[in-house]
Amino acid sequence: MKDAMLKPILLVEDNPKDLELTLLALARSNLANEVVTVRDGKEAIDYLFRAGPYLDRPEGNPAVILLDLKLPKMDGLQVLERVKSEPNLRAVPVVMLTTSREERDLVLSYKLGVNAYVVKPVGFKDFIDAIQELGVFWAVLNEPPPGSLRPDRIR
Amino acid sequence: MLMERDATGALPFAVDTSNCDREPIHQPSSIQPHGVLMVLSEPDLAVVQVSMNSREYLGLSPDEILGRPLGRALGDDVAEDLARGIERMEVGSRPRLLRIVTVEAGGRTWRFHAVGHRVGDRVVLELEASDGKPILDFHPTVDRFTLEVEAVTSIPELTGLMAREARRLTGFDRVLVYRFDEGWNGTVVAEDGNGRLPSLLHHRFPASDIPAQARELYRTNRMRIIPDSGYSPVALVPSEDRASGARLDMSFATLRSVSPVHLQYMKNMETASSMSVSILRNGELWGLVSFHHREPRTADFPIRVSCDLMARVFALRLSGLEHNRGLERRMEVRSACSRLVAVMADRGDFVSALKDFPEDLLGIADSTGAAILTEGECLLLGETPTEEQTRALASWLFAEGNQDVFLTDSLPGVYAPSSQFKGVASGLLAIAVSKLHPSFVLWFRPEVIQTVKWGGPPEAKARVESDGVVTLHPRTSFETWKQTVRDRSVPWRSSEVEGVTDLRNTIVGSVLRRAEELASLNAELRRSNKELEAFSYSVSHDLRAPLRHIVGYAQLLRESAVGKLSDNDERFIATIIESSEYAGNLVDKLLGFSRLGRSELQKVDVDLGVLVREIRTDVMRDAEGRDITWTVGPLPTVRADLMMLRMAVRDLLSNALKYTRKTEKVVIEVGYRDEGNEHVFFVKDNGVGFDMEFAGKLFGVFQRLHRWEDYEGTGIGLANVRRVIERHDGRTWAEGAENLGATFFFTLPRRSRET
Repeated sequence: MKDAMLKPILLVEDNPKDLELTLLALARSNLANEVVTVRDGKEAIDYLFRAGPYLDRPEGNPAVILLDLKLPKMDGLQVLERVKSEPNLRAVPVVMLTTSREERDLVLSYKLGVNAYVVKPVGFKDFIDAIQELGVFWAVLNEPPPGSLRPDRIR
Repeated sequence: MLMERDATGALPFAVDTSNCDREPIHQPSSIQPHGVLMVLSEPDLAVVQVSMNSREYLGLSPDEILGRPLGRALGDDVAEDLARGIERMEVGSRPRLLRIVTVEAGGRTWRFHAVGHRVGDRVVLELEASDGKPILDFHPTVDRFTLEVEAVTSIPELTGLMAREARRLTGFDRVLVYRFDEGWNGTVVAEDGNGRLPSLLHHRFPASDIPAQARELYRTNRMRIIPDSGYSPVALVPSEDRASGARLDMSFATLRSVSPVHLQYMKNMETASSMSVSILRNGELWGLVSFHHREPRTADFPIRVSCDLMARVFALRLSGLEHNRGLERRMEVRSACSRLVAVMADRGDFVSALKDFPEDLLGIADSTGAAILTEGECLLLGETPTEEQTRALASWLFAEGNQDVFLTDSLPGVYAPSSQFKGVASGLLAIAVSKLHPSFVLWFRPEVIQTVKWGGPPEAKARVESDGVVTLHPRTSFETWKQTVRDRSVPWRSSEVEGVTDLRNTIVGSVLRRAEELASLNAELRRSNKELEAFSYSVSHDLRAPLRHIVGYAQLLRESAVGKLSDNDERFIATIIESSEYAGNLVDKLLGFSRLGRSELQKVDVDLGVLVREIRTDVMRDAEGRDITWTVGPLPTVRADLMMLRMAVRDLLSNALKYTRKTEKVVIEVGYRDEGNEHVFFVKDNGVGFDMEFAGKLFGVFQRLHRWEDYEGTGIGLANVRRVIERHDGRTWAEGAENLGATFFFTLPRRSRET
């Protein structure tokens, strides 16, 4: 796979420490994908819909969205709902990255069509392992053909 | 007794003959022979009907009178005078005395009381033969009677006075005051006599003695007299009014002839003459004043009018006395009721209020015992059945359902088991406090054994002949027929029933209020549960995140400073990481524990045998190479939340493994026993055990009985077990001794109680 063909990973994370740790974890997983970071739900939507500051970004959807649950302005569940109700974006895998173990968040996320749900472990090693696994699976192994919809895997 | 037995009277409990309606007791077309009856047309006052005995009294045969003006029979002057009186009579008015009429006939002088009344468009003129004495002025008699009546303070006093004064006025051998009960049986409540006739005081007479039709006649026409029961009836001629073809309605005729059956009845009673005056209260027949004489005897019309006047004064006073007595009782009930209501309102709890004021509680219903039953309690006050009997009675009442207020003065009649305790509770007054539980307030009254004297057996009256015709047989003997009435209490008064109904409304009100308070408490609880949920939600986010950061950055520090750190530095960093991870672990466990208390149970059938085998395999992965003997007995299937129960069993089994770590030959036993309404499970090990002194602490959150270095763990496992089991309505406990192993027990209710 050539770099130019790789779609970026969209990381939505408001907490700078989590952001740094997640970026580190992604860096250690030797992924070639570019990581685009946005800091709240609104910005994520702008990016995905090429609006606001992202009006001019090149076309194309990310390979995977790593989405924090608790976000300013628009929380992760709302972003997820927008993504999964947009035909053009529905095929983009979304992975919830969250601190919460609360059942209702989990249930809601699956209802909205999340592709994976990861509770961030306290242990750093575990965290890195989790991120690596995710990144490799969704960004590399599981990359859907560009533009094609794979509804069988979405819900 | 004077009884109009003209009507058939129904066979008690058997046939209700319709003869009653057929026999026209008010249209006999015949009279008693102590006077002459003439029916006159208007306005010419010509005679259209006359009694056959006109010759005896007037010296003229019916033929000589019929169709002629009244003056032909009585002379023009008298007729004109009577005509003036008749003119003043209103339609529908009762017979009134028009004047004294003197007639020479058959060689003697007759003095008559001329009494007139109207029936339809006819005038009925009755000439009642009198003994010739001048008309007495009865005003002083009635006046004195009225004064005396005003002075009496009780009903027995009043009835006694009535009997005495009526006899004094009329001179009959015996005067009775006879009262109807609600079933129209009569009781002689007062008597005055000279001993020539037997006493009938306190005797009862069955309702069938005076059938409904006769009672109605008594109500409309308040006076009757039969001067001589041996009389021969005298027919009216013609028997029907020629103009209308109808028989005369003699409802108000004072000379009206009565049924032969009634005459037989009088003979049985050894009375040759009888008279009665009705006592009406509020327009209803309350009773009779009944006059008897051994020999033929009469009372002139004016005397009878005086008797009627006395009966009306009597009735007024009676109403007043009953009203007063009712008022007094009502006042008593009300004040007791309001005292109780005040205390209830004050305390917000009706049970304690009623319990602490037993006098008012019993006083409200004038009862000898009371019971208060609520969901849990059964309080007995005064003389009552046993608690067990009372509870059974309440269950019966509850099963009978629906009545807010229940009363009976013969409980054994409706609830057979009560014959066991009829001595204290033949009467029951009950108010239902709840529709959901058998909650009641009960009042009891003891059995009153009454001896009732009947004027002959109440049932033996008519008999059916072989041809199926019901024939009346007036009782031939009036010997007292005694009946002992058992299984009865004094009946409950309406004021008492009203009192307890008020009380019930207040209680139900206060119970409702409490329910509302509970509901608002529930709402509050739900609110605080929600808050708790929100709290734990934010804890899970906000507390875990910084712990993760500490671990993450400490890790990064260790990596970036590799080679620059001393062994001690390395140890510090390791401790930072370990402690933060441990803290994160604690947060997770605590949240899990709180979730156990909050989440809803999803009960399914769980085969505990399968569950234990599965968990055993799982936990044994961490104990490979150890010498462990498992003894798992047969285990039942229970109904439980699978996730929760799995967690509890896992905690118990892994505890057993953990605390036998230093034991050489480990034996772990899992089993259960069936104890009726619950299963008792146990997990037994031969590990380090514990000191029973601290057994109570074992199941607390973060309670540990061992040193960190010896046995790791957060100390939440047994707290989880307890919470899971308690959510399933079970119990948990532990037995053990230091170094002698431990046994952990938990129970689960049997299937019957499960949903």
